Amino acid sequence: MSDDILKQFDPVFYPKSIAVVGASADAMKAGSYWVQTLVSAGYRGPIYPVGSRGGSIAGLEIYRNIRDIPGEVDYVIVAIPSRSVLDLLDDCAAKSVRAVQFFTAGFSELDTESGRSLEERMVEKARWGGFRIIGPNCIGVYCPEHRVSFLMGAIGEPGCVGFVSQSGGIAGKLATNGMARGIGYSKGVSCGNGIDLDASDFLEYLAADPQTRVIGAYLEGTRDGRRLFNTMREVSSVKPLVVWKGGRTEVGARAARSHTGSLASSPSVWSAVLKQAGAVEVHGLDELTDTLLLFQHAEHWQGARVGVIGGLADGGGGISVSAGDACTEIGLEVPPLSDQTDRALRELLGEVGSILGNPVDVSQAQFRGFPALFQAIETVAGDASIDFVLIQQDVDILLPMYSRAGLETINDFFIELRGRLGKPLVMVLPPGPVEQERLRLEQKLLAASIPVLSSVERAARAIFNVNTYFRRREIEAGQRDAA
Amino acid sequence: MMKTQKVLTEVESKELLAKDGIPVVEARLARNKKEAIAIAREIGFPVVLKIVSPDVVHKTDSGGVRLGLANATRVGRAYSEILSSVRQAYPGARIQGVSVQQMVPPGVEVIVGMSKDVQFGPVLMFGLGGILVEVLKDVSFRIAPVSKRDAGEMIREIKGYPVLDGYRGQEPASVTALEDLIVRVSEFVEKNPQIEELDLNPVFAYPDRAVAVDARIIL
Repeated sequence: MSDDILKQFDPVFYPKSIAVVGASADAMKAGSYWVQTLVSAGYRGPIYPVGSRGGSIAGLEIYRNIRDIPGEVDYVIVAIPSRSVLDLLDDCAAKSVRAVQFFTAGFSELDTESGRSLEERMVEKARWGGFRIIGPNCIGVYCPEHRVSFLMGAIGEPGCVGFVSQSGGIAGKLATNGMARGIGYSKGVSCGNGIDLDASDFLEYLAADPQTRVIGAYLEGTRDGRRLFNTMREVSSVKPLVVWKGGRTEVGARAARSHTGSLASSPSVWSAVLKQAGAVEVHGLDELTDTLLLFQHAEHWQGARVGVIGGLADGGGGISVSAGDACTEIGLEVPPLSDQTDRALRELLGEVGSILGNPVDVSQAQFRGFPALFQAIETVAGDASIDFVLIQQDVDILLPMYSRAGLETINDFFIELRGRLGKPLVMVLPPGPVEQERLRLEQKLLAASIPVLSSVERAARAIFNVNTYFRRREIEAGQRDAA
Repeated sequence: MMKTQKVLTEVESKELLAKDGIPVVEARLARNKKEAIAIAREIGFPVVLKIVSPDVVHKTDSGGVRLGLANATRVGRAYSEILSSVRQAYPGARIQGVSVQQMVPPGVEVIVGMSKDVQFGPVLMFGLGGILVEVLKDVSFRIAPVSKRDAGEMIREIKGYPVLDGYRGQEPASVTALEDLIVRVSEFVEKNPQIEELDLNPVFAYPDRAVAVDARIIL
């Protein structure tokens, strides 16, 4: 069954050749953009531009009709007006293509009878022609491993996170945010109106895909709520599924209808459906990427007890207090540390000017040197009463105090500690006036599998989301064993 | 085209529910004063009388409900009073009679409902009765079929859950009984797709059981 689905989606995510319909010698045309995008992504298979006026683009001959292409065509990207799509689909059938993606918009999202009936006829033609349709009204697939992209320019490193988005804009944001934040994608897809292959189909595929370990989704609605629910339930029983539902308010829902033609259910029903399916619900792009980033670095999570360390140099008091609040309010535990840890910290840091409970303010280490700082952090991190370590590092305070070389030493220590700690380490690097240095450290830590988030509140929320998923999985496994 | 709705009376609704093993306080229809007294004697005093009319939505507000009637005289008087005050509040309402049912001891009031969602079909709802549901919208939802675990989560998810869990020294209400009731309602609405809406309001939750005191089904 899972082999079948992998084979079925092979021409979608691993096409051997791609035709772009709507290309012209004019680089400003949408079709031309798609040709340039594939070239810039470094796609290795043949790219066949198709356009009624012929000519060439990016050194590639433009064919006047898809039937004129000499080789086989797996995948077709369509960027021509909706009035010409039915004829094109006849040509696609004659050419025995495997999948057709419509960048073209102007269908059911217009909420017109003609838009809906055109979609119905497209699906009929696809069934008859033996190919699948992606979209319409979408930007299609993203598969860094196969160098297929919907983004001009950088393509990003392949990884283990897959995503489905009913919006092309948000699909693009997920991909670019991922590149900036060290999230590696196995596959992504923008499925638009989803007249043939819809979000459920792609979720099923990602659940079966061996490259994908974590799945994110941006959904606005569904034509078959029951199927989506059942699919999400199956998917989240094998892989973490993080869902952002757009169109939660009346204003948002109205926009969603004209965006992807989705009908609106109440937000409370959606939340209930997601919970019931075992998916993790998030409420925006930031929370979605934060949570995917943490899942990427967490094969499994041991528990909800967090050790919070703030004030690596100075200004740790208030930060530690508020970090404790942020974690607790969201539903994480910040337990007291063991007596042994407490004694060790007193010896290392002294009693004055420190908070030696949990959260821990280690700022007094600034007067005692790196060995004391590192030993204090290691003592807290190693305490058996905590499951993971959350460290806030204020680059704007540390840089003038220790210089760049000192910052390197501190972060090399974190990377080395992460390697032998045996529990997850999450780093908070708040944005500030020394942004360039902060971004450099973020990349350094991400490369060493330390997830970096921009505030304790966001980190706490993402940690909580990951925990919620794994706890539920554990409970379910326990129930299965008991049954 | 407008879909024509049919509202089942409390007596009809409870009959359907009871047939499927959903615990309800049995309500029997009395078409006149004499029948009301006879049924009350059979059930045992004290009893409750409620107006039975497809046109009366707010039974309590229109004076259509009388509680704790301890003997035949009171039942007879209540019958006349209910009819006259409902006729005043809803002139021209089709009145079938009154329902007679046992006066059950007070329990924690909860509601269990079902409505249909455009995308997901039947959605079950759970909440505490009265002001908490009306003003604070403290309710939880799950789509059918609702498993026992889903039902447990629905019950514990509402903010007012401590009220069920033995607030101020009260004995806790049986979560198991409520779970069971929700699961049965879920099975019931799945089996009867013609039901568009269902309200068990209130359900009384006790330490050992839960029972629907009022019920309304819309086809």
